[in-house]
Amino acid sequence: MNGPNVNDMALLLPELILIGTALAFILASRRIETSSLVTRVTVLASIASVLASRWVLGFDYVEGFGGMIIVDGYSQFFKVLIASALAVVALLSMNRIDAEHVRAGEFLALLLLASTGMMLAASARDLLTLYLGLELTTICSYILVGITVEKPASNEASIKYFLLGSFASALLLYGISLTYGVTGTTDFAKISLALRDNDLGGNKILLAAMGLLAGGLAFKISAFPFHAWAPDAYQGASAPVAAFLATASKAAGLAAVGRVCLVAFGSEAYVLSVVLAGLAALSIIVGTVIAMAQTDMKRLLAYSSIAHAGYALLGLVCGTTDGASATMTYAFLYVFMTLGAFGIVIALGDRGETLNGYLGLAEQRPRTAALMLLFLLSLTGIPPTAGFVAKFVVIQSLVDTGQVALVSLAVLAVGCSVVSAFVYLRVAVLMYMKEPQELEPARCPLAVSAALAVAALVTVIGGIFPGILTDWAVAPL
Amino acid sequence: MTDYPVLTVTTFLPAVGAVLIFLLGSERLARWIGLATTLATLAVSVPLYLNFNKGPNADRLQFVDSAVWIPSWNITYRMGVDGISLPFIFLAALLSILCIGASWSTIRTREREFYAALLFAETAMIGLFAAANLFLFYIFWELMLIPMFLLIGIWGGPRRIYAAVKFLLFTLAGSVLMLVGMIALYNAFPGAGLDFEKLAGETLGPTFQTWLFVAFLAAFAVKVPMFPVHTWLPDAHTEAPTAGSVILAGILLKMGAYGLLRISLPILPDAVQLFLKPMLVISVVAIVYGAYVTLAQTDIKRLIAYSSVSHMGFVTLGIFTLNKSGVEGAILQMINHGIISGALFLCVGMIYERTHTREIKDYGGVVKAAPTYSVILAFFCLAAAGFPGLNSFIGEFLIIGGAFETQAWLGAVAIWGVALGTTYMLWLYYRVAMGELNPGLKGLKLELNVRELATLAPLVFLTLCLGLYPECVLSYLHESVDALPGVTP
Repeated sequence: MNGPNVNDMALLLPELILIGTALAFILASRRIETSSLVTRVTVLASIASVLASRWVLGFDYVEGFGGMIIVDGYSQFFKVLIASALAVVALLSMNRIDAEHVRAGEFLALLLLASTGMMLAASARDLLTLYLGLELTTICSYILVGITVEKPASNEASIKYFLLGSFASALLLYGISLTYGVTGTTDFAKISLALRDNDLGGNKILLAAMGLLAGGLAFKISAFPFHAWAPDAYQGASAPVAAFLATASKAAGLAAVGRVCLVAFGSEAYVLSVVLAGLAALSIIVGTVIAMAQTDMKRLLAYSSIAHAGYALLGLVCGTTDGASATMTYAFLYVFMTLGAFGIVIALGDRGETLNGYLGLAEQRPRTAALMLLFLLSLTGIPPTAGFVAKFVVIQSLVDTGQVALVSLAVLAVGCSVVSAFVYLRVAVLMYMKEPQELEPARCPLAVSAALAVAALVTVIGGIFPGILTDWAVAPL
Repeated sequence: MTDYPVLTVTTFLPAVGAVLIFLLGSERLARWIGLATTLATLAVSVPLYLNFNKGPNADRLQFVDSAVWIPSWNITYRMGVDGISLPFIFLAALLSILCIGASWSTIRTREREFYAALLFAETAMIGLFAAANLFLFYIFWELMLIPMFLLIGIWGGPRRIYAAVKFLLFTLAGSVLMLVGMIALYNAFPGAGLDFEKLAGETLGPTFQTWLFVAFLAAFAVKVPMFPVHTWLPDAHTEAPTAGSVILAGILLKMGAYGLLRISLPILPDAVQLFLKPMLVISVVAIVYGAYVTLAQTDIKRLIAYSSVSHMGFVTLGIFTLNKSGVEGAILQMINHGIISGALFLCVGMIYERTHTREIKDYGGVVKAAPTYSVILAFFCLAAAGFPGLNSFIGEFLIIGGAFETQAWLGAVAIWGVALGTTYMLWLYYRVAMGELNPGLKGLKLELNVRELATLAPLVFLTLCLGLYPECVLSYLHESVDALPGVTP
């Protein structure tokens, strides 16, 4: 086997664009005073990365670095999603980070590197690449959560996230080493072959390995019972960082779970299905129920993101390629509607952080309130918004299996979506049906408006013409 | 003559108007745009009524618009009407105009959002009745929730938020089960793409049908509302602003019964037979129970709301008699109820605007202060009570006739319901209009103005028209009802 060559590097062009930009920012960091220029460069770099992701797909080879990396429709789907989310988050953070006295160069460099890690995880065809990608993301995320050094809450959140995150990384690593112990490889395809040839079905160590891997990955998508970090981290972090964690980070985690389950452990589908069903059902229930009691908007969105992680997992529970496609569609649409909701939080400044800040918003800012209503409806899953399409595809893949247990899971999921209506529409009630108690929020900066426009566009078009997205969301293999 | 896609234009024109209101951003222009849009919507829908082919050999579904929509799911955009849906499109288009008339001077806060919500609701209503596949049907069904939620919650009475949230959660809880049912149907017949006509042509296993019937019934029963899931209705109707009550009573309640006719009867005929008895019993319970609860009300709007429970009991009774007389009577009665309860809510709203009370005991002797108003109120009270020569009489007559054909005791109980209906309507009128003028009303200018008369006039005309010549609606129904499976002629 030869060392990496130009062909291998070319496959990683989308990642290289982001890394290059990040390195440039780090070198010039001391000279970067405000965020306006670097944000623009970041947005351009992400767009370039999106285009590169599509372009790379046209190559006549798909594997690189001796099979450590794979570039297929699945990985590129998530790369496009992650890079787009990065662009939107960069726009959302533009004015905010200056106001919070964060050095723009460092901030954006960390965002870019975290995104690179996510993309690598989406392309990983080996447990080690996967681990490296996810760790790069997580380490950048620890710093991003704590980057507003003047705020004690931010520091505290960062420490909590770091402690729990290290624990989860350890679980993941332990799972990887046990897998290696059982199968003698970390390559997904070879793991799959080893499991089949050696008839390792009921192997106890294998079960432990899968359990540990599931736990480590569940942490990344903040699924119950590995969700506890999310509300604290989101609440303490600056809102754009929380938006990034809730969207891109979760998408990358789902990408990893999907490939590991379907490719590496495809033969253990039944066991995985049970584990994932448990994670999904509990995430949905816990996320939805606890969200009802929240008074902090970012905490509410954190519990909402826990519930949505559960809904997204429902597709993978089926263990079918249709199910995986459903999860991909869900991830894509979820990312944009959540970015929209966080965008409104950011647009409202300090007022956006607490639920009471939304009192009477519709009277003061009818358009902002209408946009928030759109995102809330989408999170609830009411047609014709994107959230409905997302729910439709995962429920459809569950019902399609025809198994009583999975159909019951579908009924549980839709039942919880009624409860979630209470969560989200509580905000709508505050915005539309109560009197304002605070002064009008400051005008929303142009960059934030642009980000909101993108999120709203995807939420509407994804809801009305779902075919565009579902044709593109193709599962691995 | 009609070279535009009539149904598509009729459905989406109000939504365009709503977007226009938001874009122009003028509070002052909002109601004018609203009025213009609703009038234009009725105008563009006219070819539907004129060119509809009622003949026995005509196509089931007419004015079909179809387009590729989601090819990978095999779901097409398909709109079309038959004789059952056509009258509802007219009713929705008409009531929307009257809602704007009724809100003209009452809604003075956040007018833009009000008229935009009203127009979105109109799109959802018309779209629901025009949808030719279940996917579109579901989308319009859910789309209806949000404008109604806002209409009740923002411009409603004192307990508006409670009522709005209750309305939303009840209807959403019903409709998510419909979603699962819809997905099960979609998976069972991927080739049909949820098209109503194609699904009706498929044969479903009896167990599958039973489950689907329960799932769909959950959604429809809440909307109708059938006993015992009617409890959201009195709150929503009472707290909603006049326009909201009119839409709720006039159209929204019909969506559930329409769903039974469009989905349960044609697609799940075996399950309908299985559930026939319980459905009939629930219907007559709703008629009688609803009527007794109505008698006990002291709030005018609440009284009319509970009377809807009783009247919708007649509708479901008619549908599940499964004979031609009963089903046609049910559909006619849906239209009648839409007209009459819409009119009654308008009447109440108009006088509430002047007196700011809905308590019956605060009224009395209104006839002395407002003779024209009292005549119109009497007219609609009599119509609601099933007075011969007015529209409800025909509908109830057909339904009760159908019930006697099925099982005589059902007819007997239903007649009891009619007697109770006459009692509560006339007693309401007696307490509001007759006797000495309530001292609290002295000095108030209670008589209607020209705008209000113009709002009520079309409904007076329709009530008479349907009462004296019901064929004007029934003629549309005959062929479509004959085509429903399981309905005996």
